[in-house]
Amino acid sequence: MKKKWTFFLFAILLLFISGCSNDAEATNADGKIELDFWTFWGSETRRPIIEKMIDDFNNSQDEIVVKHTYVPWGDIWTKNLAAVAAGNPPDVIVNDIRSVALRAENNQVEDITDLMSDGLEEKFDPKLWETVVHEDKTYALPFNTDTRLLYYNKDAFREAGLDPEKPPRTWDELKEYAEKLNIKNGDTYEQVGFYPGWGDFGPISWMINADDGVQLIDDGEVKINTPAKQEALQWIVDFKEDLGEETVQNMSAEFGSEQQNPFINGKVAMWIEPGTFFTQLDQFAGDMDYGAALIPSFTEETGNWSSGGGFVLEIPKGAKNPEASMKFIEYMTDVEAQTYWAENNFDNVANIEASEKALDNLDGKAKEVYQKTLESLEETDFSTVPLEYPDYTDLVNPNIDDALQGDMSVEEALEKAQKDVEASKRETE
Amino acid sequence: MESLQREDRVEQRPLPLKKIETTKNKKPNNKKRKPSKLAVRENIWGYIFIAPWIIGLLGLTLGPLLFSLVTSFTDYNITSQMNFIGFDNYIKMFTADPLFWTSLYNTVYFVIFSVPLTTVGGILVALLLNQKIRGIKYFRTIIYLPAILSGVAIYFLWMQLLSPSTGLVNTVLAWFGIDGPAWLFDPEWTKPALIMMKLWGLGGGMLLYLAIMQNVPKEMYEAAELDGAGGFRKFIHITLPMITPIIFFDLVTSTIGAFQIFQEAYVMTENGDGGPSSSLLFYNLHMWNNAFEIFDMGYASAMAWILFLIVMVFTFIHFKVSKRWVYYESGDE
Repeated sequence: MKKKWTFFLFAILLLFISGCSNDAEATNADGKIELDFWTFWGSETRRPIIEKMIDDFNNSQDEIVVKHTYVPWGDIWTKNLAAVAAGNPPDVIVNDIRSVALRAENNQVEDITDLMSDGLEEKFDPKLWETVVHEDKTYALPFNTDTRLLYYNKDAFREAGLDPEKPPRTWDELKEYAEKLNIKNGDTYEQVGFYPGWGDFGPISWMINADDGVQLIDDGEVKINTPAKQEALQWIVDFKEDLGEETVQNMSAEFGSEQQNPFINGKVAMWIEPGTFFTQLDQFAGDMDYGAALIPSFTEETGNWSSGGGFVLEIPKGAKNPEASMKFIEYMTDVEAQTYWAENNFDNVANIEASEKALDNLDGKAKEVYQKTLESLEETDFSTVPLEYPDYTDLVNPNIDDALQGDMSVEEALEKAQKDVEASKRETE
Repeated sequence: MESLQREDRVEQRPLPLKKIETTKNKKPNNKKRKPSKLAVRENIWGYIFIAPWIIGLLGLTLGPLLFSLVTSFTDYNITSQMNFIGFDNYIKMFTADPLFWTSLYNTVYFVIFSVPLTTVGGILVALLLNQKIRGIKYFRTIIYLPAILSGVAIYFLWMQLLSPSTGLVNTVLAWFGIDGPAWLFDPEWTKPALIMMKLWGLGGGMLLYLAIMQNVPKEMYEAAELDGAGGFRKFIHITLPMITPIIFFDLVTSTIGAFQIFQEAYVMTENGDGGPSSSLLFYNLHMWNNAFEIFDMGYASAMAWILFLIVMVFTFIHFKVSKRWVYYESGDE
């Protein structure tokens, strides 16, 4: 009886083990190395583009075959984390450009310093390159990026008696133009000129713009409660008061639930979005005449600071074929692949030569807007996640909300935010 | 899911509990005699049949549970470190994390309002649906329908309904001359909005109450009527006492469920950050952000255990107090 019992236990154990150990075969039947590449690009427009690039790579050599795995946006990084912890990660993954250092510090990503070809660094935008280096080691290669522009409705400019070829250059002009562009019918607005809380440029971005590019955590120092940032937040609060709390709340909610963008349907005359917004305008804006401009600067002396993000390609810690993976990553970040991506997605890419090529190949309005994105990238802040204060935005945002709601003065809010963040400091090795 | 589990338990509940004392009586004999071969074999088969459950419990529940307890005393970040740091996580939680208190406040607020409201609401609706009128089946189905819909689709639906200027809720309020609030955009109104949404789905609780109400013996009502009792007195003195076991069950499970609120806030706020002024930053959302946004798994585990303790205390109180007001027909259970 005992024998049977042990046999049974063994059987279960075996089942368990065989179920768990799922070691990816390094080579396939043809003797080629197989790589698993995780992206969240599964949409109708993006999927064919990324898969074409992968096919091109597969056809360009005969040692490595890359397989594309689409993992939805909401899952991809937590799944990757679990896979890294379990020791069976994908070979290459698309990951967030702002938190490379955090992943490096936490041992979630392979150090690729010794795997890279020489002179790789020169090929990339230096600001993007900065994001992939942590303590003199490189952990990823930048893939794509973005930057915000101010889109303005030229037709509305003409109607308001403004020069359609002169978008606002400073905050003062922005405010002035915004007031001229407001169209009211009784108590309700038919058209709002501009409101800094709408579009893809939050209070934190405005604060950094006002402080001439000084981030909230600048070089490990908390710089939240600065005079310029106070002024910036006050400026937004004043803007809100001028429009009226109710108008702002109602329209914010409407914009959130509508299919069409408020700039495209003419409800707001100036609107901030990333460069890729052009593709929507191109498709849906009909014969509306619009322009794209750099984010206005705080004063004549400060920069046109915009905010941006992007993605990198990296090798998760513990991946089986780092050398082959690196070859693939270098291919994907080289001129040919990057130009293809840039042109077909109207996206900004990390490779300098590819950016220039894409610009050359575009024409008309597309070229005009793309040109602006390249200018804007010169002064774009990426606010990479600081290791000492990884969750600082969670602490800052509620205080900003309180100030915008009028529950706290701007000074109080930023002082509290500064204190909360300082208190949350973490020790790093 | 939730409602299914509840139904399962209800089905189990009315089973007459005959206390089987046979094993107790045989005990003295058992000690001396070796169990027969047949008994051993049957035991083994018994274990084989429940083996999947045992493996599941050990591997998927108890194991991770213990692991998270250990983790809560470390700076575990999933991939690179796991150093023992004593009570630092717990100390930080209570002294150096302002968002911990915000999230606890939001969660307790939600529990205090949503649990009694859904319970009372469930009883009242069940009472209405327990009438003998034509087409009652259709009313029951309609009221129960929201309870079987679940998840993200409902949240998106409600985001539309609660839209300040174009949403149905404020449109209806406007008919009565009421200027509705901005709901999910106004920190004062975000939690009430969520509680309202939960009330819409009270069909699950309603079904339990309806089931037990139909089990209340008719004779009791007849006797009360002979004594001249009206509808209200019948409800207070007969219906209510007879359904207390289900009220108790509903209170315990929905309190536990309410403490675990997560999805609603994660889906209905921008980037899952907890909404305007962190007014929807619930306990589990804050815990999730710590675990998966900044990889502070040690801290998140500590938070999980504190929540576990809080819920356990509440459940303990429920059980203690229940002796005073829950009536079991079949005697003390």
